[in-house]
Amino acid sequence: MQRRKKAPARTSGDTQWVWLNAAAVSACILLVLGLLLLITVRGLGHFWPTRVHEFIVQDEQGNQSRLVGQIGEHEKVSAERLGEQAETLDGENGFVTRVLVKSGNRDVTGQDFHWIFQEHILRQRSPSSMAVLEREEWGAFFGFVVGLKSNGVLLRSRDVWGDFQLLLNQARQLRNEIDHLQKDEIGSINYQMERLRLKERGVQLKGEASPQILVAIAQERQQLQSSYQQLETRLDALNESARQNSVIMRIGTGEESDIDLPLAGIIAAWQPNAMSVTAQLQHFFRQLWLFVSGDPREANTEGGIFPAIVGTMLMVLLMTVFVTPLGVVAGVYLKEYARQGFLTRIIRIAVNNLAGVPSIVYGVFGLGFFVYTLGGSIDRLFFSAALPSPTFGTGGLFWASLTLALLTLPTVIVATEEGLSRIPRTIREGSLALGATQWETLWRTILPMASPGIMTGVILAVARAAGEVAPLMLVGVVKLAPALPLDGDYPFIHLDRKFMHLGFHIYDVGFQSPNVEAARPLVYATALLLVSVILLLNISAIGVRNRLREKYRGLET
Amino acid sequence: MTAQEQLVLSVPVKVPLHLGLPEGTPVAVSVRDLNLYYGEVQALKDICIDIAAKQVTAFIGPSGCGKSTLLRCFNRMNDLIPSCRTEGSIILGERDIQKKTINVAELRRQVGMVFQKPNPFPKTIYENVAYGLRIQGIKRRRQLDESVEWALRGAALWDEVKDRLTESALGLSGGQQQRLVIARAIAVQPEIILLDEPCSSLDPISTLKVEELINDLKERYSIVIVTHNMQQAARVSDRTAFMYLGEMIEYGDTDQVFTNPGKKRTEDYITGRYG
Repeated sequence: MQRRKKAPARTSGDTQWVWLNAAAVSACILLVLGLLLLITVRGLGHFWPTRVHEFIVQDEQGNQSRLVGQIGEHEKVSAERLGEQAETLDGENGFVTRVLVKSGNRDVTGQDFHWIFQEHILRQRSPSSMAVLEREEWGAFFGFVVGLKSNGVLLRSRDVWGDFQLLLNQARQLRNEIDHLQKDEIGSINYQMERLRLKERGVQLKGEASPQILVAIAQERQQLQSSYQQLETRLDALNESARQNSVIMRIGTGEESDIDLPLAGIIAAWQPNAMSVTAQLQHFFRQLWLFVSGDPREANTEGGIFPAIVGTMLMVLLMTVFVTPLGVVAGVYLKEYARQGFLTRIIRIAVNNLAGVPSIVYGVFGLGFFVYTLGGSIDRLFFSAALPSPTFGTGGLFWASLTLALLTLPTVIVATEEGLSRIPRTIREGSLALGATQWETLWRTILPMASPGIMTGVILAVARAAGEVAPLMLVGVVKLAPALPLDGDYPFIHLDRKFMHLGFHIYDVGFQSPNVEAARPLVYATALLLVSVILLLNISAIGVRNRLREKYRGLET
Repeated sequence: MTAQEQLVLSVPVKVPLHLGLPEGTPVAVSVRDLNLYYGEVQALKDICIDIAAKQVTAFIGPSGCGKSTLLRCFNRMNDLIPSCRTEGSIILGERDIQKKTINVAELRRQVGMVFQKPNPFPKTIYENVAYGLRIQGIKRRRQLDESVEWALRGAALWDEVKDRLTESALGLSGGQQQRLVIARAIAVQPEIILLDEPCSSLDPISTLKVEELINDLKERYSIVIVTHNMQQAARVSDRTAFMYLGEMIEYGDTDQVFTNPGKKRTEDYITGRYG
């Protein structure tokens, strides 16, 4: 108490620098908040039903043209930079405003983003019947719905928009059915066929190919073949009926600009200019859900990222399963059993240095050692039937998790050692004094008490692993995985499969996609999701740690 | 325990100087020519002492005189200190427990220990007491229940905790924790209990309770207590050993050591001239 009274007088010299600390903290918080705000606004904005405008534009030569689209962004550019393009523009202080318009209809106009100068816009209006179509291919489509066709015959309709939605629903159900047939049922048959082929090849390689076995295999194959044929006829029929209906879209002002679009290729349609706020919110959340739960389309620039979420989560969970026991055992040995001396010091330095090795180096190691050496041997020993196509001899979920486990091992080892050294000596002695061996003491008392510290290490490991991209590109992450590593076919989790990853997805969409403008919102949205996934994984790990801490509280007394 | 009572020292005695026990007293531990080094520093010098069975023996002496070190030799706790090295012999039940071949865990089951600061495990009260039993492989619930109750009654704690056995032991008061630790030690039914300054972190009332407990416990166990508090040594112990700078200066009947010490140093210490 006395000390506190004295303090202000004595430390007044110190407190004048406290603002520096406060400023540093504020700067950090601002940076983090700014980052989160940016990716949230940009990412979530993608799902909002933006209004579609109709612009009448007059260019330098006095030609008038019509442009339909959504406003992407406004930008002030110096006239100098634009050169002769902007010669005739007045501008303010040498700056002109230009607008990025997303006009869609890439298949018709060939270009779906246009820059126009604010000054060139003569008129601008947003007709309420303007519709936006989300399509399987070619991106968005803007236009007016003027009629519906079935088998090439114009349908008579009083409420074209209402009937359009009805037909669209039908088409959606058909598409789901087709998807289910193609992916699940036919996919499953393909998987079984492949297993059958491997089985046949296996018995042939072993020289056990007796006629009975071969006949049995042939019979089984026959069965699969016939059920495949059945599915295929069903699929053909479904495809046939899906192609029947189409919608007539008017993109210009007259009948000559009408275009027929088959309903099978349309995923959703909405009229953003006519939407109420509730409808907008509804639309927003539906689109968000489709993004989170759907498969990617169009070279990942459209559709959802569900496989990437599953891949990321699964990889991190597997990594945790690998790294935790390994790191804990290593840490326990170093701290409890190894003779402390020169050698353990060297090992500790090495472990700490491992944490600083660039992650791509781990990727190269994973590729060289895990994939080629270990995977190659495993293939030769257990999967020789599948050769020359590799099973484990190529990147996959298993190797990626192992590589990341290796990458995060130092964190867990160091945290384990820290955690162990925080246990008071008296507890250890108390257990030993009761006749417990060193192992019993460790197992029954020390390790449970050190578990919150160990969990801290695991949390750090998870955070690092979830955000890592570079090494994964070498050991199993792909742009587009044909199947999830988790499905209904035995053995349910396929460690040998390649998988998708949110981090790589961001890189791929952002830098490898042909249509950068179209892909940009997706980059933000994916980044937002990656952050959310990491947050989710961390929060669950922190939850576990807090429970452990509560349980073994009182350590510090 | 039965063998212990009849055991009269059969090991050749080189230095019978400070044995200090009346003829025919049963012996729990015999220490002969014990030297202990921490690296280059000698912490115990030629210690020879016989600890009487089923009596309370107190080690007193100034800080750093080696009394705790000697105590920790009886259950080989010094093994945990890497630089520690011993010579000489400690006979416990006809075995020299200094030998490398001794099963240390087995020895520690026979020689319980209570430390200066209460060190309950962050488990329930029940699990704390059952810890040693579980280590011995006892799994039957009834047997555990009985032993836990018996030990808690033995440590005069049962009435205070019988309704909260499943609560964390860390919620107990310091004095209760120390008695819990004693209960934990007696649950495995040792022959000897070592108390290393058991009351130094307790309030006077808790200290009183622990001292009463020590008085009860000597019916069944041989007790060795290290204490800084000379009144406590006088109150609870039957025999007292005074140590100074790693040497055993005097060992004898408590009354005699306190009222009529044989050595000048002992007298100086007891009367408070140094220490």
